[in-house]
Amino acid sequence: MEFMGFPRIDGSIGVRNHVGIISTVGCINEVTMQISRNVKGTVPFTHQQGCAAGLQDLELVQRTLINIGKNPNLAAVLLISLGCESDNPEKIAEEISKSNKQTELISIHAIGGTIKTVAKGIEIASEMVREASELKRERCDCSKLILGSKCGSSDATSGLSANLAVGIVADFISNEGGTFILSEICDIIGTEKILAQRAASAEVKEDIIAAVNEYHKRGKALGVDVIGINVSSGNRKGGVTTAVEKGIGATVKAGHGSVQEVIRYGDKPTGKGLCISNSPGLGSIALTGEAAAGAQIALWTTGRGAPQGHPIMPVIKITGNINTWNTLKPNIDFNVSGIIDGSETVQGAGNRLFKEVLKVASGKLTKAEILNYCNIADIARFGPAV
Amino acid sequence: MKDNVVTVFDSCKIGDKVSINYEGKVIYYQCNSDIPFGHKLAIIDIKKGDKIVKYGEVLGFASEDIKKGDWVHTHNVKDDYKIIDFMNKVSNDS
Repeated sequence: MEFMGFPRIDGSIGVRNHVGIISTVGCINEVTMQISRNVKGTVPFTHQQGCAAGLQDLELVQRTLINIGKNPNLAAVLLISLGCESDNPEKIAEEISKSNKQTELISIHAIGGTIKTVAKGIEIASEMVREASELKRERCDCSKLILGSKCGSSDATSGLSANLAVGIVADFISNEGGTFILSEICDIIGTEKILAQRAASAEVKEDIIAAVNEYHKRGKALGVDVIGINVSSGNRKGGVTTAVEKGIGATVKAGHGSVQEVIRYGDKPTGKGLCISNSPGLGSIALTGEAAAGAQIALWTTGRGAPQGHPIMPVIKITGNINTWNTLKPNIDFNVSGIIDGSETVQGAGNRLFKEVLKVASGKLTKAEILNYCNIADIARFGPAV
Repeated sequence: MKDNVVTVFDSCKIGDKVSINYEGKVIYYQCNSDIPFGHKLAIIDIKKGDKIVKYGEVLGFASEDIKKGDWVHTHNVKDDYKIIDFMNKVSNDS
């Protein structure tokens, strides 16, 4: 199956043609925002990381920013640096430019303050957008698609409708030779045994269990009951009884395919098919991990209605709750409540959703994009702020 | 494994009848108590210690005898989730 995308020099395909204005560190986010607000065709990528962290976290931020810069939805990248951050902006710029994408780096310290940096940034970004605007969509094979997934603001309908429909899409895209990413390790707690049985190799099996155990270990070190946090009081009030129940409801998003790989947060998958990103569950962070993995689109299931998108990828909001669809229609893209009332099969809803994915891949805008509700992003941090 | 609970998509009152489509047949159950939207109802009698099955998987175990039509939740289900000591890492490091 095909869609209309933007072929990039490195062989990847964009479903959007943005110029990315990317903060290398959190303290210059205002400059990034001011440049982006002034230049049509740009997206700002802001976050709170890049400094005052342990080496492991700095390395994570660096690889995430490099791979965010390489995301095929970005035609060109302008990096904004302060000049004294702990990550390495020059290295980030150098690595992004290896994908043959036009990449520029400007620093507030070197230019002389935020006002001049905003002005310089507007000038550079304007030229980048002008050049990018000449690119045309072309027919592309959907084996080039990498789809991210997320569930948030879930309810009892999520695991029994929207997540199952996403599972059909996951199987479709894998069968077409594309890639599907399941994130949110916290959400697979309770299902690691089931997922491990679906691992493509003994190594992947170990990786799945290790990712969950690492999560428990981190919680234990902080004196936190990970399961208690994960199955929240709201979840229990909504009808979730056990960790396994919540986990299965969430992991049905991954369909039935075998798990090919578990990737570190911020890394790209090396192969195709179903892949797990070792990511926390918070939306702003999980989506960034998927965008860094090269995902061009994310599918977000939401029973109660989460409004946010992401700057780098269109995020398709899917609900199986008819009340949410009726009341939050301005924020939700896709209704699969027919699965709940029996008027549509899971397979039927999944087929429809896959068509919607190809439409969005070809340029159809999501509601979060239309409402410009996309600037909520962050990068994971596993260690303490120092 | 066959599911022995269903999720109700309405707020049910004690005595309400709930219908489910199961393999082409419509089956009715009477609620033995109020059951909130999104919560589970037992579709068969479940003995104390027996598995609670949803999505074809074991969610936990009955912590008391559960009657057909009962509300199934934390008050009568034991969460049996255990961290897998697959590589012996968690327990050794802690």
